[in-house]
Amino acid sequence: MTAALPSWLVALIGPFIVLNAVIGMVTYVTLLERKFAARMQSRIGPYRVGPHGLLQPIADALKLMMKEDIVPRTADRRVYNLAPIVFLIPCMLIFATIPFAPGLGVADLNIGILFFLAVSSMEIVGLFMAGWGSNNKYALLSAMRAVNQIISYDLPFIFAALVPVLLAGSLKLSDIASAQAGLWFAFYPVIGQLAFVFFIVSTLAAENRVPFDILEAESELVAGFRVEYSGMKFALIQLGEYAHIIGSSFLGAVLFLGAWAGPGPEWLGPLWLLLKAMFLFLLITWVRWSFVRIRVDQILTLSWKVLMPATLLLLISTAIVVVWRAGV
Amino acid sequence: MSNATLPTRPINPTSPTSPGGSERTRATGTTPTRAASPTNPVTIVRAVAKAMWVTLVNLFRKPITVHYPDQERTYPDRYRGLLALVYEKDTGEEACIGCRLCEYVCPPAVIKVEMLKSEKRNYAKSFSLELYACEFCELCVQVCPTDAIVMMKSFDLATADRREMLLDKDRLHAIGLQYQQSWATGNLLRAMQGPPKMARAEEHAKPAGSDA
Repeated sequence: MTAALPSWLVALIGPFIVLNAVIGMVTYVTLLERKFAARMQSRIGPYRVGPHGLLQPIADALKLMMKEDIVPRTADRRVYNLAPIVFLIPCMLIFATIPFAPGLGVADLNIGILFFLAVSSMEIVGLFMAGWGSNNKYALLSAMRAVNQIISYDLPFIFAALVPVLLAGSLKLSDIASAQAGLWFAFYPVIGQLAFVFFIVSTLAAENRVPFDILEAESELVAGFRVEYSGMKFALIQLGEYAHIIGSSFLGAVLFLGAWAGPGPEWLGPLWLLLKAMFLFLLITWVRWSFVRIRVDQILTLSWKVLMPATLLLLISTAIVVVWRAGV
Repeated sequence: MSNATLPTRPINPTSPTSPGGSERTRATGTTPTRAASPTNPVTIVRAVAKAMWVTLVNLFRKPITVHYPDQERTYPDRYRGLLALVYEKDTGEEACIGCRLCEYVCPPAVIKVEMLKSEKRNYAKSFSLELYACEFCELCVQVCPTDAIVMMKSFDLATADRREMLLDKDRLHAIGLQYQQSWATGNLLRAMQGPPKMARAEEHAKPAGSDA
């Protein structure tokens, strides 16, 4: 069957499936988040559309599609229209290197984690384009804050993500996953736990989630860089943001939680990975509803004075431990 | 007004007479170094754990949401909801005698009544209530001599058209049959109050007269 198809088409099947799976997952993860958040506030959350609100994401998507698409008169039209796409592409590309099971993934690069980290930071380009192109003071301020924050937090994020790389001795994500067959890196004594905590904190900041959401800051910047967007463009930006969060959750699950390792037969692997990623996503949501937004200077202090030296020290001590254990 | 009468917190931080001279403020550029300062890592970790614990406990609590249109919470006995006209229990006649007391007492003047003279008793020829301007003060219920106008244990009259909130006599009677009646009626409310003013005046006048 596959032999009859041209090879370029065969190469596109995997990405096509993953892309659609990600879009579908993002749609339903919004429902998961809303339900979870509602329960934390003793509410029920979406309930009316479909049984227990199960059709709510579809209703939301339809609503966004049918909304009027407004371009502000003073906006930089080309940048404004391009920004959601530029924002979305890196957020989708990060799924390319995630191995969903042994040998199952779009592209298991031998520098997979490097690719992930590089591409995931690219979203800031689209974000800044959105803020700049809107020609709106709130959007611009928000975009500037976002750049500031991402520059500050990408380094701790990368350092924390490099700890499992050192422990596994490979940049390939599938190698890192299979290196955790015996012991998940989150349970690696001391180093693993510290790296995991640092990873979560810097993920929160890199995703601009509460308590590091100064760029969204509803109370001061209305909704941040996407304030002027409506309709489908708004939907694309939201899709990108959630895809980025889920992508980071998957990365966390692969790096620290043993990826597809779990009880049961081998074909349950992707399910375990999904469950672990959702656990991380809910952890992020849990943090979101537990804290208030912190100030800009506090965010920067936390990054440069605490997380940066701490993760760097952790990385060095991990290297020492790895070398020492290899020597013994 | 001199500085001495002001509270201890100085208005001007550079004032030499300021009593809090040792405690530097934020404006002077130095942060206070206390044990519980927000930069203390132990404080931060403890605060983080506390905050996360609160939300985690909430997660496993039963939601308090009531699915309103499907399910209503029980209203208190003296709930002041929709207004309605009721029929007399024994005869089944309209209880309203068109005395217009409610019209006189209504503060926003939303009630309009016309009386229909009859042989044995009077009736209301028309009775209209502009519910969109009603302030639900219950005064009309209090004054009603025949317990004709009462309040219902419901507020369920949302509509897209304001004109539907102009209730006529038939509509008010229909509401009276549709919902559950609140406890309060004119006679019950008056029974709770003190004796009428006239009786009290007489009571008061007796000892005063004997003294004089």
